[in-house]
Amino acid sequence: MAKVEPILYGDRKVFTVSSFNRGVASYLGRLPAVWVEGEVTELRRNEAWATVFLTLKDPKTGATLKVTIGRRTFDRLELALEEGETVHVSGRAELYELKGELGLRATTIERIGLGGHLLALERLKRQLAAEGLFAQARKRSLPRLPRAVGILTGADAAARGDLVATIGARFPAAKVVICEARVQGKGAPATIVAALATLAAHPEVDVVVLARGGGSFEDLLPFSDEAVVRAVAACAVPVVSAVGHEQDTPLCDLAADARAATPTAAGALVVPDLDELSASLERSHRRLVLSVRNLLERDSERLARLGERLRAAPHLLLERRRAGLDHTGARLQTLSPLATLDRGYAIVRAGAVAIRDASAVQVADRLEIELATGELGARVEDVRS
Amino acid sequence: MSDDRSFEELQKELEDIVARLERGDVPVDDAIALFRRGEELFKTCVSRLQGAELRIEELSASDASE
Repeated sequence: MAKVEPILYGDRKVFTVSSFNRGVASYLGRLPAVWVEGEVTELRRNEAWATVFLTLKDPKTGATLKVTIGRRTFDRLELALEEGETVHVSGRAELYELKGELGLRATTIERIGLGGHLLALERLKRQLAAEGLFAQARKRSLPRLPRAVGILTGADAAARGDLVATIGARFPAAKVVICEARVQGKGAPATIVAALATLAAHPEVDVVVLARGGGSFEDLLPFSDEAVVRAVAACAVPVVSAVGHEQDTPLCDLAADARAATPTAAGALVVPDLDELSASLERSHRRLVLSVRNLLERDSERLARLGERLRAAPHLLLERRRAGLDHTGARLQTLSPLATLDRGYAIVRAGAVAIRDASAVQVADRLEIELATGELGARVEDVRS
Repeated sequence: MSDDRSFEELQKELEDIVARLERGDVPVDDAIALFRRGEELFKTCVSRLQGAELRIEELSASDASE
């Protein structure tokens, strides 16, 4: 192994590329062994090669790291690794001197186990909760009668069938829009996110149901994927999560606006029961008719009473006038000369003129005498004035 | 009548009208106009509930990338 020695140009120390790389390589070689987590990509194994190559990718940032591992070591691990799987790799930093490329020389690779997934999930859950993604205040209420229900489902026919059957039974006039996605395995999160966006963009879809039957913990992992959980929280329409069974709590359950334990329960959440809804409408209608009838009756009663009072008014007035007249008549009566006659007085007239003075007549004049009852004709016998 | 509002909004308006009429502090002319509006809303709501068969539309996620 050649030494790392500079060439001197006067005072300037200059390294050849090889010696620089060798120097860095030997520096890196002193770093301790570490565990690195990432997704497997570009896995290349060839019987003719002594080394297996793969690239580890950080799913969040896209940062990559080249990994090499001896083929025999790799084969003994019997991992049957597939692209996209998350693994833990133990090894040391290494520089490929010829290219000056940094890599990790692996001594072992472990598929991230249940424990690892659980820890990662717990970490993600805490982080998203801290961001407020699961907050109760973010939850939207579901539409009572959506124009269309979006259903995101896998090829898994049971969940989809139960959901569609429940919706059809409760509300026959419903419309469902179904979008299939890969719901498990590598690539599932990306298709779930895409399908969710497709459904939310549909002009009639007012609510989306994530319908995924039960499965193993690993099978349901895509529904706890950070991108999926964020997409559920940010979805333009409310989302109902019906993923797995009662005991499963994928993170999308926490981010969704409502959670249903089964596809049947989800169906009951997203469409109303036609009979109940019709009954409530009919009730409103009966009340509408009744209330306006009451109002009109009340008003017409008031009107009728007014009418009666109006018609009674002139009558009352007349009565009052008549009473007044009677009183006046009575007074008139007392002033009438006829009443005087009743008391024994008489009126004496010569022709049309009432006689007040005896000298106004002469002996033998004809006089008319009016009594209370009847008249007398008389002649003057003598005049005393 | 075509009304783009959601069923809830229509039903809410109907219920509000009923509540106003039941309170009874509405002049007769207004009451009759409200009643007509209520009838119209009721019919619109009922028509939205009608339809005998579930309609199913299938989309593929690739549509989203268009």
